[in-house]
Amino acid sequence: MRYVGRRLVIYAVTLWAAISLNFLLPRMLPGDPASIMIAKMSRNGDVTEAQLESIRRLFGNPDTSLWDQYLQYWQQLFKGDLGVSVSFYPTPVVELIGSALPWSIGLVGMATIISFTVGVGAGMFAGWKRGTWVDHIVPSTTLLQSLPYFWVAMVLIYFFAVQNQWFPIIGGYNVFMFGGPEWSWAFVGSVLYHAILPATTIVISSVGGWLLGMRNMMVSTMGEDYVTTAEAKGLKKRRIMTTYAARNAVLPSVAGFGVALGFVVGGFVVMETVFSYPGIGKLMITAVRGNDYALMQGVFLVITLTVLVAMFITDMIYGLIDPRARQNV
Amino acid sequence: MIRTMGRKRAIAAASMVAGLSLIVAGCSDSDETGDETSADPTTEATSSSGDSATGTATDRELVVWAGATTPINQTFNPYVPEVQHLALGGVYEPLFYYNKAGSGDPMPLLGESFEWNEDGTQLTITLREGVTWNDGEAFTADDVIYTFTEAPSAPGYITSAEATDDTTVVLTFDEPQYTNELSLLGLSWMVPEHVWTSLDEDPLTFPNLEPVGTGPYVITGISDANYTAEANPSYWGGEANVKNVRYIGVDNNQAAQDLLQTGQIDWVGMFIPEPQPILDAGLGYINTPQDPTVLYTCSNADLGCEGDQTDVAVRQALNLAIDRTAIKDKAFVGLTGTSSPTFALLGRDDKWISPDVEAESPQSPNVEEAQAILEEAGYTQGDDGFYGKDGDPIEMSLTSVDGWTDYNNAAQLIQEQAAEAGIKVTAATVSWNEFADGRTNGDFELIMGGVIGTSVPDPFQIYKDWFGGDSTTPAGTALEPGQWNFSRYDNDIVDEQIQVAASTVDEATKMDAYATIQEEITRDLPYIPIVINATQTFYNQTDYTGWPTEDDLYAFPPSWGAGAAGVVLHSLGGTE
Repeated sequence: MRYVGRRLVIYAVTLWAAISLNFLLPRMLPGDPASIMIAKMSRNGDVTEAQLESIRRLFGNPDTSLWDQYLQYWQQLFKGDLGVSVSFYPTPVVELIGSALPWSIGLVGMATIISFTVGVGAGMFAGWKRGTWVDHIVPSTTLLQSLPYFWVAMVLIYFFAVQNQWFPIIGGYNVFMFGGPEWSWAFVGSVLYHAILPATTIVISSVGGWLLGMRNMMVSTMGEDYVTTAEAKGLKKRRIMTTYAARNAVLPSVAGFGVALGFVVGGFVVMETVFSYPGIGKLMITAVRGNDYALMQGVFLVITLTVLVAMFITDMIYGLIDPRARQNV
Repeated sequence: MIRTMGRKRAIAAASMVAGLSLIVAGCSDSDETGDETSADPTTEATSSSGDSATGTATDRELVVWAGATTPINQTFNPYVPEVQHLALGGVYEPLFYYNKAGSGDPMPLLGESFEWNEDGTQLTITLREGVTWNDGEAFTADDVIYTFTEAPSAPGYITSAEATDDTTVVLTFDEPQYTNELSLLGLSWMVPEHVWTSLDEDPLTFPNLEPVGTGPYVITGISDANYTAEANPSYWGGEANVKNVRYIGVDNNQAAQDLLQTGQIDWVGMFIPEPQPILDAGLGYINTPQDPTVLYTCSNADLGCEGDQTDVAVRQALNLAIDRTAIKDKAFVGLTGTSSPTFALLGRDDKWISPDVEAESPQSPNVEEAQAILEEAGYTQGDDGFYGKDGDPIEMSLTSVDGWTDYNNAAQLIQEQAAEAGIKVTAATVSWNEFADGRTNGDFELIMGGVIGTSVPDPFQIYKDWFGGDSTTPAGTALEPGQWNFSRYDNDIVDEQIQVAASTVDEATKMDAYATIQEEITRDLPYIPIVINATQTFYNQTDYTGWPTEDDLYAFPPSWGAGAAGVVLHSLGGTE
């Protein structure tokens, strides 16, 4: 329990720092985001008093002190108010993120978990069978990982969606059939069908890293004395592989999993654009292209939160599988 | 703001109709179970169709990509800049359709005819009879007056709008407004007074998801990824043959190209450098170059521009040094049109080109002449081959937006071509923001940029917006919205002739004025024309017929053209 408590405190501090940075960054940018935004909006017509008010709330009224703005920012956060998007004016940022987030978490989250499981499993096997033919699969998966996401995606689309029309080219669901998300089996089926190519892209380009890391750790743990002891005791091979070698070898991979989710963010921006997949990455691109600071702040906040939550969960799992982590704190 | 009798009358009418519409709304609430879009049988399309549709009626859903990316901004409000494409033309119609691609007369839509008075201060519009909104109400002169005087985008220069009878509306202005004919008749989307006056919310943020319009289509649904529409059964021009239309959001051109090739999209206006595989897949194709690509030069030292390009001799020499044929072939894969230094669109606006100037920009370089111009202006060639004056070499930076690869390549080619003639131009790429800031603030030397082509067969709008002294500010001060004169060009003769042309409809007078303007601008070259951008349209000719073609260019073909969508979709039919 003490372990969980300490972790919670650390994460609370990190969260506070991340949110404060999110508040500070747009205010430290060269130029004045508020006036850029007003200029951009006034090009489309007169800016109403209500719009000016929302921009002021977003970037702070230059007349109030930074500290007052900071307090106001927190108040808004607690009310779940992230401002209004300029690129999708007048849709609130919360609404945009709310409809995009499930898609990103569903697809990228699942694909990352699949990639992790497959990579770690195969790495364990490859480490166990070290020095045999199995070693040959290691370089080939590493090669796949070095290919850029968008390239893999485009090759997959070319072969499996254009040359052979087995899979759809765009969308999170069949955009030619469904008006929008709905609760029906046909729709769920369509979502799964449309997720295959994007998910395959992610798995192909990330599985190699897990595999290589796991295999190498496996090889080094296999040389440890306790593994030799276990073998001498005459334990079943399977038990040695999973409980003795793999459990210890997997620790760095689990630690890396949380971090990997952070890197995934960069990858799915591209993937979502190639597949026109509805998700957070696309919102981020739109926000950056359109100087849409409210949306950018909102998206960064959500990404930060997601990564923190993911890391917290991995920390908990880490504590479970590695008793040392629990005791040494 | 001048308020006249006409305006007051309009307000009175507005409040009256607002009251009326409440009663109507009350009635329609009682039969909500009925078909919302069903037409009132008594007002069903009485007029025969003006433009004849071809082909047969078809239920096959026509899928369109008009450039929207996902998530789609869910709005059909014609006053919001991000309004979805089909709303303009498909649901809301203007009085007339002005075909950007042809030189004929405007096509009557909600209007039947119009007439200017002699000095251009009064416009009399005859409206089509028997038109109904898709909620069953009749379209009346009051709706037109509301659109011109009360609606959020109502132009301020209208002093009064009056209905002299049920189908005649007279607009009065303080000054001649010939030049606003397009924006009044072709780009003012007629909105129903009974809907817009009874809104509970701000008309500028109202998403308007069930738009009430007069157009050939009725919106049936919208989501993040697409929106759908079906033919309006009570459309005044007759129900469209293509019954179902779906607009989708696609995030990148490659995906759209793949969808085209696999037959999943039927109509797209987008740039495809290698169209052959698409044509092999059986799609129809038309290229209608419209918008000039130019070199913006910050040309006017009097207004604070800096750099060697402020010397007209340097601009003239550069103009001659450029090899436009090579640029067209290498940077734009041979798809662009030939530019004219007069900024008239060759082929469409030929009659406006003065016989005293070159109609086409030089297509091949003329190094000798370029150097002669420089030498005459006192420049001498240095040891390194580059020209300079008093030991100060000509050096100009040429920027283009990073990622606009055709522009980046063209800039690179210009750098090489200018070097051949001894002019040092350095090409560099910048972010879009830097590009936008640079040009509005006049903080640049040369930029690869675009000029917006005119929507009517007349180059006037370019002269006024891009060359007019009223449309610019000193360098260091940002241009106001609606000002496009990035080059800071300010020439009294041009300004005077713009005024002359603005206040007449007499062709001979206009031609004289244009001839003078053209003489000035082809000499001064504040924008050095390069090519006319390709405008490619791809369409499904297997299942649908009636698309605009080279021979019958009845409307501007690409799917993103505001207003054209309604005209094109209504003209289509199935092939079977």
